[in-house]
Amino acid sequence: MYRYIINRLILIIPVIIGVSFLIFAILDQAPGDVVHVITGGGATQQEVEALRAELGLDRPLLVRYVDYMKGLLKGDLGKSYISGRSVFEVYTERLPATIKLAFASIFVSILLSIPLGIYAAVHSGKIGDNISMVAALLGLSMPNFWLGLILIITFSLQLKIFPSGGNEGLISLVLPAITIGTGLTATLTRITRSSMLDVIRQDYLRTARAKGVNERKVINKHALKNALIPIITIIGTQFGNVMGGAVLTETVFAWPGVGRLIIDSIHARDIPMVTGSIILKTITISIVLLVVDLLYAAVDPRIKAQYSKGGS
Amino acid sequence: MENKNIILDIQDLEVRFEVDGEIIRAVNGVSLTLEKGKTLGLVGETGAGKTTTALAVMHLVPDPPGIISNGNILLNGKDVMGMSKAELEKIRGKEVSMIFQDPMTSLNPVFTIGEQIAESLEIHEQLSRTDAMKKAKEMLELVGIPGSRASDYPHQFSGGMKQRVVIAIALACNPQLLIADEPTTALDVTIQAQVLELMKELKEKYGTAMIMITHDLGIVAEVCDEVAVMYAGRIIEKGTLDQVFNNTLHPYTEGLFNSLPNIKDRKSELLPIPGLMPDPVNLPVGCAFEPRCSYARAECSLRQPESRMVSDHMVCCSAYDHPDFHIKRKGGKYVE
Amino acid sequence: MSTANSVKPKEQKKYSASKRYQKRSQGAEIWRRLKKNKGAMVGLGIVAMLAFIALFADIIIDFETDVIGQNISQRMQLPSRDHLLGTDEVGRDVFFRLLYGTRFSLSVGIVAVIIALVIGVVFGAIAGYFGGAIEEIIMRATDIFASVPHILMGIVIVAALGASTLNLMIAVGISSVPQFIRITRAAVLTVRHAEYVEASRAIGLREASIIFVHIIPNCLSPIIVQTTLRVASAIISASALSFLGLGVPQPSPEWGSMLSSGRQFIRTNSLLTFFPGLAIMITVLALNLLGDGLRDALDPKLRR
Repeated sequence: MYRYIINRLILIIPVIIGVSFLIFAILDQAPGDVVHVITGGGATQQEVEALRAELGLDRPLLVRYVDYMKGLLKGDLGKSYISGRSVFEVYTERLPATIKLAFASIFVSILLSIPLGIYAAVHSGKIGDNISMVAALLGLSMPNFWLGLILIITFSLQLKIFPSGGNEGLISLVLPAITIGTGLTATLTRITRSSMLDVIRQDYLRTARAKGVNERKVINKHALKNALIPIITIIGTQFGNVMGGAVLTETVFAWPGVGRLIIDSIHARDIPMVTGSIILKTITISIVLLVVDLLYAAVDPRIKAQYSKGGS
Repeated sequence: MENKNIILDIQDLEVRFEVDGEIIRAVNGVSLTLEKGKTLGLVGETGAGKTTTALAVMHLVPDPPGIISNGNILLNGKDVMGMSKAELEKIRGKEVSMIFQDPMTSLNPVFTIGEQIAESLEIHEQLSRTDAMKKAKEMLELVGIPGSRASDYPHQFSGGMKQRVVIAIALACNPQLLIADEPTTALDVTIQAQVLELMKELKEKYGTAMIMITHDLGIVAEVCDEVAVMYAGRIIEKGTLDQVFNNTLHPYTEGLFNSLPNIKDRKSELLPIPGLMPDPVNLPVGCAFEPRCSYARAECSLRQPESRMVSDHMVCCSAYDHPDFHIKRKGGKYVE
Repeated sequence: MSTANSVKPKEQKKYSASKRYQKRSQGAEIWRRLKKNKGAMVGLGIVAMLAFIALFADIIIDFETDVIGQNISQRMQLPSRDHLLGTDEVGRDVFFRLLYGTRFSLSVGIVAVIIALVIGVVFGAIAGYFGGAIEEIIMRATDIFASVPHILMGIVIVAALGASTLNLMIAVGISSVPQFIRITRAAVLTVRHAEYVEASRAIGLREASIIFVHIIPNCLSPIIVQTTLRVASAIISASALSFLGLGVPQPSPEWGSMLSSGRQFIRTNSLLTFFPGLAIMITVLALNLLGDGLRDALDPKLRR
């Protein structure tokens, strides 16, 4: 089992290398120059050259990249071109806000999706099912930045219940969490429903009924535990995604999280910041996925057996 | 009074399924009674309605699309059709148990086998978790599996052992009636024999009545006291083992015996019954077996045959309107 | 056994086949199943209507006057008979802009997906068919690509290439490639090992014939479904990028950028944010309904 975990952790490394090179290379080609951003365009040619030399921007791409990787190996993610602060420091400063948002959104979506998905599966083919599915599809089809704006219009501006931005306590978490949560709910409900539908057809439920287990327990205990695996996968992936930075929602709600950080850095061509943030984000997602895979093992004994045998 | 001795009494059971606008008539007027402690073999080809009849006894016919459109089912004198959900849940697993054909899919993969046996005990015998697990281990020993394996999961067992677990679950609360739906079909022949032996032993030990659903006449001969042959949703012949095997009356039953290869006579041809069972959506007006029957007469396709007593047991065949009619198979013990 | 004195065996009675067993052509069968799905039909209808609007928008609406012509005296008007959905901050008719915007959204969505489709299917098929080291390399590269979330990938690419309609298509397209690679590879894998492929080899079919006659047709279904759904998500991605200022440049009436500019006036005229988003939602919903319906109709193991 431990071998499996170690294996997975090791696999993250090539991904980091690949991602960092990709981002580095692409952004390097970008028009626009971080120096101009820093100086605001009001610097002389000499000052520009000096700044470039200082930041090491006068060297060729590969040299800079190798330097960067050397730094990475030492655990140093470099410094932001703009602020000069350590990338790691800035990222971890903004991280808690995004974590809060991620947890809240996932919580909202689980609360809504799983009962809804179970309901739709049990009443499959009937009106309740159709309505649930259309509602889920609606949630999926809404651009979430639009939903955020609509929520702001209704609850912030007109009803004045919730603040329209910023991160002041629990109350400002509500609207952003609902915004992200709705989109997640749509997918999660559909997965819950289809997974439950698969399980509902299984023979072992018939065995349970023949034993005299009451119907509610048949669904909520015997069926659900088996249906959990795809559900957990999706929850995990979603969590990973939101953790990666819910860029749009953070923009709409002026939420001081990691997503906005990355966008601002991209606009500013702050390559170390962008690369570093994306790398950290990738590591986070990989760890989340690892935790998800471990959760499978807790739920399904067959998978646990597979892991222990040294497979991956 | 026979009444006290009858564990199951099915009267005129009719079950149909409505799928995509079509009506599938699965069970068309089945009546049978079973005494305590006896074993009835319910014989027939796939699609004859055997499983549906069995599910109806426990009111487990999936609804939708299945509808029990007629009939009474009295289990120990109680009307199953009229029971509430709670009452049904009480009798399932306790007074009547069922085991199914495919052991591979009958067990829940995410719970240990001990838990799955114990669950039955917790529900019906109100045992605590620890007591239930203890009893579960005893049940395992009873079916020939070491009690220490109670904490193992289904995927760690072979097919034959899984079926034993299923039997353990079914018998845990000592039901008065066990319905076994082709319990050995999915198993190897040698394992088949073991499982059958086990079932016979347990049946004798507990005095459980049993309905053995099968298409295998060999199993019927091994285990059953009585036989009912089903075709297209009806019982077309019914009697004791001796009566049906040695005094076969219905042409279909004869056909079943004839299609068995005779190991002593290797040179003779196999005699399968020509044709197929009728489409349950499109049952004919007359006798359902008529198109394949070598004794058929004109009137057979015009109306439903009635069930009647002929010599010593019940048969459903219009040919017996003529007192001289007899089929070719006569006497002779069934030879393995 | 002698049958000397037996009754002559009856002739096999023929019974009429029930309707269920009549053979239908595959295409007709799929269409029949699709028709049964009301949601899919609604989706299809809306998509057809949108396509129509996109194709003929130029003819119906005059670009200069209606779409980009500014008319400050008429700014920020509420819906009326003259302006069905009101006017925006510089007096342009919202309704006409939305209609014209259909062209952008649909074309970006479709072109982006075509880009993703071509690249994705080719690589996915190569990975699935040849397996071994080639498959490993392609899949690892895909994983690396996919570990950057869509939006960020799109933002990075647009930042690198500059904001324009074409670059938007490329950015959204490239960020959708991993999905197509995965789906295609999975489809090819299932088919490659299928028994009918082995059987085809056993009776001597040439490799090329196998690929064209058996493998590709059976991979089509998941790819078709994925394409439809991807167009939907491409439209959302494109409007998201436009919303962030990285998409189609002003004054083009792309729905996402209309949302973005409307946002500034959220306190005074919330309709400017409401309608463009509604347009996006209806389009995407229609495509999703259609895609779902296709998935159900194309799946031979109909799941109820």
